[in-house]
Amino acid sequence: MSWALFTLLGVPLAAVLLALFGSWRLARAATVLAGVASLGLAIAIAIFVEHGRVLAAAHGWIRIDSLGAVFLLATGLLYAMAAVFSVGYLGVDQIDADFPRFARRYFALLNLFGWSMLLVPLAADFGTLWVALELTTIISALLVAIDRTDAALEAAWKYVLIASSGLGIALLSIIVLYATGTHALGSAYLPRFVRFLAHAHGLSKDAVRLSFVLAVVGFGTKVGFVPMHTWLPDAHSEAPAPVSALLSGSLLSGAFYAILRFFQVTVASGERTFAEHVLIVFGVMSLVAASFFVLRQGSYKRLLAYSSIEHMGIIALGVGFGAPLAVAGALLHVITHASAKGLAFFGSGSLLRGYDTKEVEGVTGAGTAMPWTGPMFFAGALALCGLPLSGVFRSEFEIVAGGFARPQYVGVALVLVFVNVAFFGVIWHAGRMVLSPRAAADQDGGASPRERSAWMIAGMLGCLFVSVALGLHLPGDLSTLLSNAGHRLGPAP
Amino acid sequence: VPTLPNWAVQVFQVVTILALAPLVGGIIARAEAVIQQRRGPRVLQPYYDILKLLRKETVLPAPAGLVFRAAPYVSFAAYATIPLLIPALTNFPLPLGYMADFLGVGLILALASFVVSIAAVDSGSPYAQLGSSRLRSFGALNEPTVIFVTFVLALTTHTDLPYAFGATLRSSTVQVLRPSHLLMIAAFFMLVLTETGRIPVENHGSTLEFGQIEEGRVAEHSGPGLAFLRWGSNVKQLLLYTIFANVLVVPWGMASSGRLDRVLLAIVLLFVKALGVGAVVVVIESSFAKLRLYKIPEFTVASFMLAVLAVVIFLFEPGFGDSHLSVFGAAATITAVLVLLLEFGLLRSQDVWEQLRLYALGSLVVAALAFSTAATGHGGSSLYVLGAVTIGLKAVLFPQGIRYVLRNLEVEPRVPSVLGVPSGILIAVGLSALAFVVLRPVHIGAEAALPLSALPVAVGGVLVAFLLMVLRPYAPSQLLGFLVLENAVSVASLVIAPGLPIILALLLLFDVLVGVLVFIVLVQYLAVERTAVRTDVLNRLTG
Repeated sequence: MSWALFTLLGVPLAAVLLALFGSWRLARAATVLAGVASLGLAIAIAIFVEHGRVLAAAHGWIRIDSLGAVFLLATGLLYAMAAVFSVGYLGVDQIDADFPRFARRYFALLNLFGWSMLLVPLAADFGTLWVALELTTIISALLVAIDRTDAALEAAWKYVLIASSGLGIALLSIIVLYATGTHALGSAYLPRFVRFLAHAHGLSKDAVRLSFVLAVVGFGTKVGFVPMHTWLPDAHSEAPAPVSALLSGSLLSGAFYAILRFFQVTVASGERTFAEHVLIVFGVMSLVAASFFVLRQGSYKRLLAYSSIEHMGIIALGVGFGAPLAVAGALLHVITHASAKGLAFFGSGSLLRGYDTKEVEGVTGAGTAMPWTGPMFFAGALALCGLPLSGVFRSEFEIVAGGFARPQYVGVALVLVFVNVAFFGVIWHAGRMVLSPRAAADQDGGASPRERSAWMIAGMLGCLFVSVALGLHLPGDLSTLLSNAGHRLGPAP
Repeated sequence: VPTLPNWAVQVFQVVTILALAPLVGGIIARAEAVIQQRRGPRVLQPYYDILKLLRKETVLPAPAGLVFRAAPYVSFAAYATIPLLIPALTNFPLPLGYMADFLGVGLILALASFVVSIAAVDSGSPYAQLGSSRLRSFGALNEPTVIFVTFVLALTTHTDLPYAFGATLRSSTVQVLRPSHLLMIAAFFMLVLTETGRIPVENHGSTLEFGQIEEGRVAEHSGPGLAFLRWGSNVKQLLLYTIFANVLVVPWGMASSGRLDRVLLAIVLLFVKALGVGAVVVVIESSFAKLRLYKIPEFTVASFMLAVLAVVIFLFEPGFGDSHLSVFGAAATITAVLVLLLEFGLLRSQDVWEQLRLYALGSLVVAALAFSTAATGHGGSSLYVLGAVTIGLKAVLFPQGIRYVLRNLEVEPRVPSVLGVPSGILIAVGLSALAFVVLRPVHIGAEAALPLSALPVAVGGVLVAFLLMVLRPYAPSQLLGFLVLENAVSVASLVIAPGLPIILALLLLFDVLVGVLVFIVLVQYLAVERTAVRTDVLNRLTG
């Protein structure tokens, strides 16, 4: 089965090469194929590892277990949908003379970005994991800046500077962990996850704690934990919509995956309570701050960005609660959030193409003017708020139920209150955009907004399908995968 | 071989300092001239100058009184007293050697300077008064610096007698290589530069009145008085070099008894050490420019701050307990401190080309640490490869590449800080101290041989790199801040994880390479689209 790993890493790279050396139409086709193929492979790999088997290749340099597979699924899903959506999103610009060059560069970077994010859960050691995450940062910075507008440059500069600095701290955490490992593992060894887990009792507790805090701060910069989140709304709002979706649903959770690997080691060395407390603190800060920002947001893409911070806070809280149900819920939330946020960002991209503004004020009557995008964007917003029928409802419910079981009443109460605050913010803004009547001034002048491409609708439908399907029925395979992955995080008995 | 009585050695000590001082000054002047491709004065020229001045008559300004006439002799007498108190030739105390402690030495030096300043006022000459008022205001922080340097020494040795310092350092060499001691040495060296009127504070012996400090003060003196002032300033220089070398840096090679051959050997070694310090001074004088007059306090503040940092760090150091000396430990600590000091230099610098040079220098230091780590058997020979790659990438390719791009973009090289330099350095000192405070209770539990006290220095370097990015709202400087951060992390990794497999280290460097490329692309976009590489104008996206 190890061929699947090589294929998974090879397919996006092949698409990159085709995009660089072929025509832009070829690049487009290659991207869609690579995205869909990656999703298929990710599902196949996830089914293979769901019962706890481990898939390794290249002398153990790449390796995946059930925990990594959860994140691989989220990345695969968004990569595929973003590839499909991009075809329509870019198609609108075709009149421009520079378009073929721009499209080839865009597709090349998009595939490279997808490749680097698929690499993250495949890393077998902390060094490779860091390298993969840093690659995702620098590649996506170019994607954020691709429009070369003032705002896009500003966002890209902040993003690459802050995220790289955060990863500098993360590197320090790996070095500290490595140093404490020398006692048990000898002076020169590969910092593989499994070796740390096997020798966790030989690690110094002080060093493990220090390294975990550094990892949460360092990788947490990329996850978007408050107060290291400042780059996030800018980058998400200025990037092209498919890239925003990938950033939000896949890159953030990829960085969280790195924190989970540190979490595993910390738990194995007997510091479970400490690690949970750290995650709860950062989770609560992110949830509280982000939900207030959602309330007073004037730009709908920034609103979705703050909603991402909020959801990352919820995931951190879920893991921090520590009950098996909450941990499984948090891991499920990675996937459900990816699908719902993908849907909402794709919707926002389609609205941007239709209305040509990012302001909530400028979008009126989207429900009638854009009969596919409007309702689906609204559905995405509802899903993000955790309304029943959506997968987010299931995962948040599991997190809350797990929190009650532990019991973590304060944390649960905070989740319930601030999820509702964010709910108000999202519904208020999204409702105004979609349900309001078309403003009279807009009806008179200019081209009225309309659906621009069936490809965009297809991308949205894909995400909507996953989001609702997970809400209606959790497939048995996925359930097995999640509980196995949760088991790897070793919930307290 | 005859053994001299202690009083005779004491006489020897005073005579040696007084006699050698002009020679050391002459050699430094000559060496500087040779480096700058001038012929320069003979090395014995200071002696000829003194003899010539002694034969000349004294011309007094009209308002001058007794103070003016006595000042040269009082100050010279003060300088001639100090050799009695410091370990110049012997490592055991000589008669009268305990008359004063380290602070006493400082006070006698201050007295010498004070009478010259009073004399300048007494002369009524505006130039002389300007010189002494400048010296007073710029030198205001020198005495606190001396006090904090004394604190470090006193904390280490539980006494403040110069002889005892040397003895303690000799008995446990590892003390010399502690971060606090290294920082204290740096602080004291900056003090020596200030006190001897060297670049970057003053152009030694310049007759241009704009920058005159020390030279201005003695402008009205003539004849034998001037001779003693000139001789005195040479003696002061040698005294400070002696204290620097024999007390702080290399308290070895002094006579342990009064045997004549040992005393003579000690004289030769003292001369060699003084020339060693002089060589560093020559390098600094030839490679840096004089600071503008109103920037001088930045220099003295920096020296004071380093001394304060040394004390703070000292209080937290024992927790890291490197109990025995090793070459690797020495290299690691020195590298970590050097990288931190270079970051302070970056904080001070307002010029992007200079910042690039400092970064390249820092990278060379990191590479040297990789080599010495490999040479001492930690981490295997693959570290040689890493060192070579480090030089190639971080010391050559990155600085040259960034310079090339910036030159092509015609970027304005001035990158002023948003905060004054002293405030910036104050914050940096606070951050470095914070690293020690935070890491003290942490028990890493690694292999015993690792020099853990270098770790908080490196972590301090990481924090200062953040400060660098915050204080410079310019894209190239922020890029350099990121690179410096990476250097500090590299030091940390070499110090506590030298065994990290080479393949991972190379992968990390590859990532940094790609990162730099992306940074440069963005800098180009900024320069082209915004016609500026300022990043404080990037403030549209908020909320």
